[in-house]
Amino acid sequence: MTQNRPHPRSRRTFLRQLALGAGAAALGPALLQACGRGPGGSAESAGGAGGELVISNFPLYIDVDAPGAPGSVARFQKDTGIKVRYVEDVNDVRQFFARIQPQLAAGQPLAQDLIVLTGWMAERLIRLGWMEPLPLAEVPNARNLVPSLRKPSWDPEQRYSLPWQSGIAGIAYNIKATGKELRGIDDLFDPALKGRVSALLEMRDTMGLLMLADGQDITRPTWAAAQPSFDRLEQARKSGQIRRFTGNDYQNDLLAGNLAACIGWSGDVAQLAMEQPDLRFLVPDSGGVLWADVMLMPKGARHPREVARWLNWVYEPVEAARIAAAVQYISPVEGVREVLAKDPATAPLANNTLMFPDAAMQKKLYVFGPLSVQEEARWEERFAQITEG
Amino acid sequence: MWLLGLYVLPLLGLVPLSLSEPLSRFGLDTVFTGRVANYSEVLQAYGPILLRSFSFAAIATAVGLVLAYPLAFAIRFRGGRWQPLLIGLVVLPSLSSFLVRAIAWTSLLGDNGPVLGLVESLGLTDGLNGLGVLRDGRLLNTPTAVIIGLTNTLLPFLVLPLVVAMQRIDPRLLEAAADLHAGPLRRFIRVVWPLSLPGLGAGLLLSLIPAAGDVVNPRFLGGPNDRMIANAIDNLLLVQLQAPRAAALTLVLTALITVAVGLQLRGRGLEELPLP
Repeated sequence: MTQNRPHPRSRRTFLRQLALGAGAAALGPALLQACGRGPGGSAESAGGAGGELVISNFPLYIDVDAPGAPGSVARFQKDTGIKVRYVEDVNDVRQFFARIQPQLAAGQPLAQDLIVLTGWMAERLIRLGWMEPLPLAEVPNARNLVPSLRKPSWDPEQRYSLPWQSGIAGIAYNIKATGKELRGIDDLFDPALKGRVSALLEMRDTMGLLMLADGQDITRPTWAAAQPSFDRLEQARKSGQIRRFTGNDYQNDLLAGNLAACIGWSGDVAQLAMEQPDLRFLVPDSGGVLWADVMLMPKGARHPREVARWLNWVYEPVEAARIAAAVQYISPVEGVREVLAKDPATAPLANNTLMFPDAAMQKKLYVFGPLSVQEEARWEERFAQITEG
Repeated sequence: MWLLGLYVLPLLGLVPLSLSEPLSRFGLDTVFTGRVANYSEVLQAYGPILLRSFSFAAIATAVGLVLAYPLAFAIRFRGGRWQPLLIGLVVLPSLSSFLVRAIAWTSLLGDNGPVLGLVESLGLTDGLNGLGVLRDGRLLNTPTAVIIGLTNTLLPFLVLPLVVAMQRIDPRLLEAAADLHAGPLRRFIRVVWPLSLPGLGAGLLLSLIPAAGDVVNPRFLGGPNDRMIANAIDNLLLVQLQAPRAAALTLVLTALITVAVGLQLRGRGLEELPLP
């Protein structure tokens, strides 16, 4: 069995696993904070008082320092002289919300000046009045925002948020393990893959894909329309078809060969495929779920001018291209494709339809629409009953 | 006093919370309404998971005991001058974080990992499948993996009190038993076992409680059908933002553990336990 191992577990994989697991490590502090203490674990201990720009983002979501090639954070610090504390402590947006909620509800500022969260969560925070409008007057590069992400449903006037990256939820699979190309969501329910399939804990991505496969309109999701998909998911969990529900940690299981196929995110799989060429990413013909993670400034943020500098800097196409080349998601910045195409080392990325969806791809992508407050509670309860057994 | 301040008072604070309702959908603030239905709702929704948590904890403790007795015996009676080192080795893994250990287990127990490789080369796969130890030839994300992780976590808590209890056993008792033609098994049953009982009681107390409330092992080593009760509490509080129901479930869990501990201590005072 060991000789079939598709990929040796490298040290890097283990380190990544630790980085991804760090979200779970934050659980202890999170419980304390939920009882009304301070905000985000490591970001808090970093402190934001000393003129330092504090940013919370998902793990592995930016280019990092390499020998002779400083990462974006280091280059920004050098270019602007602004000190940055960049903390990768957003693992699960819902748990992150539970961490920051007590302080925001009490009208106290967070340690963070900027947080990166998914669109639907941005909508919740904006609606609650806990976010500050971004200092967009000082961000001339904001005009580089791609048209498709302007005035999104979560921020109709485009005052509170700017996208960090966007991406696609679809099917990731290892062709050696599946033994064939997959064609759609039905393949995840194929008994031949029993126990070697995972789905995402991100409800809108998992449910969105299933509902699209069921012919439902996810841009206007309703409780009734979701029931067949909920039932299907529940059935698959009970039968053992679905091995796990995951956050980013499906990546390790894919590399280690524990999963043959899963619901995953486009950029992750593009990055992993460099390590493991047998990995594929499929946007089913029934449709893929398009999402965006956006930058938000919490009320009372202490460094709005530095926030403006950062936003402007990451919306510079040359800088955005470096981030895009590292994370391989869909960059929200116009001109990135041209920058990538010019450099022979990155030119193939410019033709990657997962990073730069062409017209055919764009027709298959849908954004999960808003849920009313009461509906969302019902959805989350049902989804939790499925994922948490 | 410490127990009162650090344990009982916060727990009592949960009682009114468990009878409240959330003030708003996105707040953890609550208002007391005397809503007893929180309890019936969580019992109905999470009863099976409670049962599962205690079975996992009980099995892990039983497996742990099977490992801990020979280990403690060897450390006490065969350790000699290596005794401190051996005790150190037992405790050493506990110094690393739960998380790191669980993640290390995921690579050991994975589908292409060394444990399954060994099982396969010994030709045991079908047998273990039949026994339900493996699921479709898999180990990671099964109840077995969770129990392995739990056993690993609680082993030091079983071994240490047993070593302490066995320290009080005079080696000459074993010699005397041997002189009276008692074989090794008989010596264990008639001498070591009864004299180590206080250590066993303490070990059970120290292991069963954290095992029943474990979050990390089921999350990383289990599948969605192997979740334990702390995962449910975690989800209720941090994802669903249902603090009152999370509090109700926490109190139910605490009450059950208290009953279990009470049963264990019945007829035997705490002062007899060689708590380290």
